[in-house]
Amino acid sequence: MKISPQNIAEAVYKATEGKSGQDLTALLKRSVRILVNRRMLGKSNEVLGALQNIFDKKSGTIRMKVTSARGVGSEAKSALENEIKKKYKAQNVISEFFEKRQLLGGVKVEVGDEVLDNTYRNKLNKLEQFLIQAK
Amino acid sequence: MSNHIVENLKKEIENFKAEIKVEKVGKVIEIFDGIAKVSGLSDIKSSEMVTFQNGKGDIQTGVALNLEEDAVGVIILGDFSKIKEGDEVKSTGRILEIPVSDSILGRVVDALGAPVDGKGPIKASKAYPIEKVAPGVITRLSVSEPVATGIKVIDAVIPVGRGQRELIIGDRQTGKTALAIDSILNQKGQNMICVYVSIGQKDSKLRKLEARLEEGGAMKYTVIVNASASEPAAMSYIAPYVGVSIAEYFMDQGKDVLIIYDDLSKHAVAYREISLLLRRPPGREAYPGDVFYLHSRLLERACRRNEKYGGGSITAFPIIETQAGDISAYIPTNVISITDGQIFLETDLFYKGIRPAVSVGSSVSRVGSSAQIKAMKKVAGTLKLDLAQFRELEAFSQFGSDLDESTKKQLERGKRAVEVLKQLQYAPVKTEHQVVTLYALTKGFMDDVPMEKIKEFESGLIEYSESNAKVFYKEVLESKMWTDKGEEQLKKAIADFKIGFMK
Repeated sequence: MKISPQNIAEAVYKATEGKSGQDLTALLKRSVRILVNRRMLGKSNEVLGALQNIFDKKSGTIRMKVTSARGVGSEAKSALENEIKKKYKAQNVISEFFEKRQLLGGVKVEVGDEVLDNTYRNKLNKLEQFLIQAK
Repeated sequence: MSNHIVENLKKEIENFKAEIKVEKVGKVIEIFDGIAKVSGLSDIKSSEMVTFQNGKGDIQTGVALNLEEDAVGVIILGDFSKIKEGDEVKSTGRILEIPVSDSILGRVVDALGAPVDGKGPIKASKAYPIEKVAPGVITRLSVSEPVATGIKVIDAVIPVGRGQRELIIGDRQTGKTALAIDSILNQKGQNMICVYVSIGQKDSKLRKLEARLEEGGAMKYTVIVNASASEPAAMSYIAPYVGVSIAEYFMDQGKDVLIIYDDLSKHAVAYREISLLLRRPPGREAYPGDVFYLHSRLLERACRRNEKYGGGSITAFPIIETQAGDISAYIPTNVISITDGQIFLETDLFYKGIRPAVSVGSSVSRVGSSAQIKAMKKVAGTLKLDLAQFRELEAFSQFGSDLDESTKKQLERGKRAVEVLKQLQYAPVKTEHQVVTLYALTKGFMDDVPMEKIKEFESGLIEYSESNAKVFYKEVLESKMWTDKGEEQLKKAIADFKIGFMK
């Protein structure tokens, strides 16, 4: 049977649950050995990604990525985090903030595969499409 | 002038409302041979349309086919060389749609409904989804109106009705496309819209075909959907569904449509290519397990709807190419079992000079006889049996020279029947003329006409009867009836013509 990175991540998570110190180190070393034996070392990033998703799900953590043209103030940051916490019924929110001049204005919020794009760039693109269709 | 443009633009912009909502966005993780593996898009549905956006503003369309645990397999419709790993992919929540309108008639479009004939854009009035559930039993009407193909052997022996699915099957170079084109040419003035779907064929062949239709004045009521051999397999895969969507647009207006899929063997091959690239398990002849469903869901959309549900019909002529006459291969048997009959073309007959090379013994129309007009039914009733008996006697007579009188007579009649059913390409014959010829044949008027003069007799008789059997023509054309009075007049006209002809 073919083993996917998701399968390995689930197995690692279950094996390491409640372990710490030397036990944890030994377990992780053995996990890497399995990846090497199964020639899956190239998929280690996918395994880590899947492991992080499992951990986030179990601990009620949401990862948010915010991109804006001129940065977001601290008040707006905490308001955004609270809003996301409420929407996704999450316990923790880990947020990353980026600046991108090309967006011109507004803000783009990404949580998992959901995106709320309220930037001027996006609005202009939509206007362009609208005018092409109207023609 | 510039003020006017600015004012117009202002008005347009005032109508614009930028709706911002949460969108599902995924990322391309792998791209190869027209297939993309996409991460994210957790709520996507099978056959949903997605759009690929790279940073430069190029937008490409795709269709989600494989829904896996951690990725989605998408076929890309168009040039996939512009899409790269990491590009954004958005789900649309809609099935792939194509623009349709009445102005699509006379045009050549690609598998996405965009014009490719250089005659400018087509203004769309509606968008039709390419995948639709076929009409149910309650909405349907049984087949009762004929499709006049103009090909004598088909109209007489293997009649096709409106709403029927009749397979055209045969080896390469046996005249499958020619039959289909002749049928389109004969629809002039028959109140029929034609859709020709070209799948995986050379552009040059299609160009010739379009020119032929244009020359015959058939492009006015025809739409050509082209997914040529040079385009990716995804285009060949969706082309027949696009064709039937265009047909449904016209059927929804209560019109009758004839659709030709040329050919479904190449369609199956394109689907096999896509399925193998998507790593679906291969089955018989390496086709995926759902290749039957691929064709059945397409052909089930051909139907005749009752008046309560808007009327109209879609008659389908799928074409299948066989290898060395093997009709028991996987795809031919599948499509034979789906359709309401098949027209089998044989290489041997083709090289014997019997063209169209229809093998009457292997061809069948399961529902068409109820759509035949009375006059045709009357004259062609025993023709199939006569031809079958002739073939048997012909094989038997090669062993001996002493044959009794009735056998000789039967052989002579059979030879004449074969001769009468021969027909040149692009020369469809009107139904009423077919009736006259077949009446003369089955009633024995041609028995003593020399074989080499049969064609001459036929054309002369048609011309003569038009002016000397007016009652008969009126009955056949207007009331589609067959009365003793009309028959008497026709019989007399044939007898009179024969006296003059044999002198």
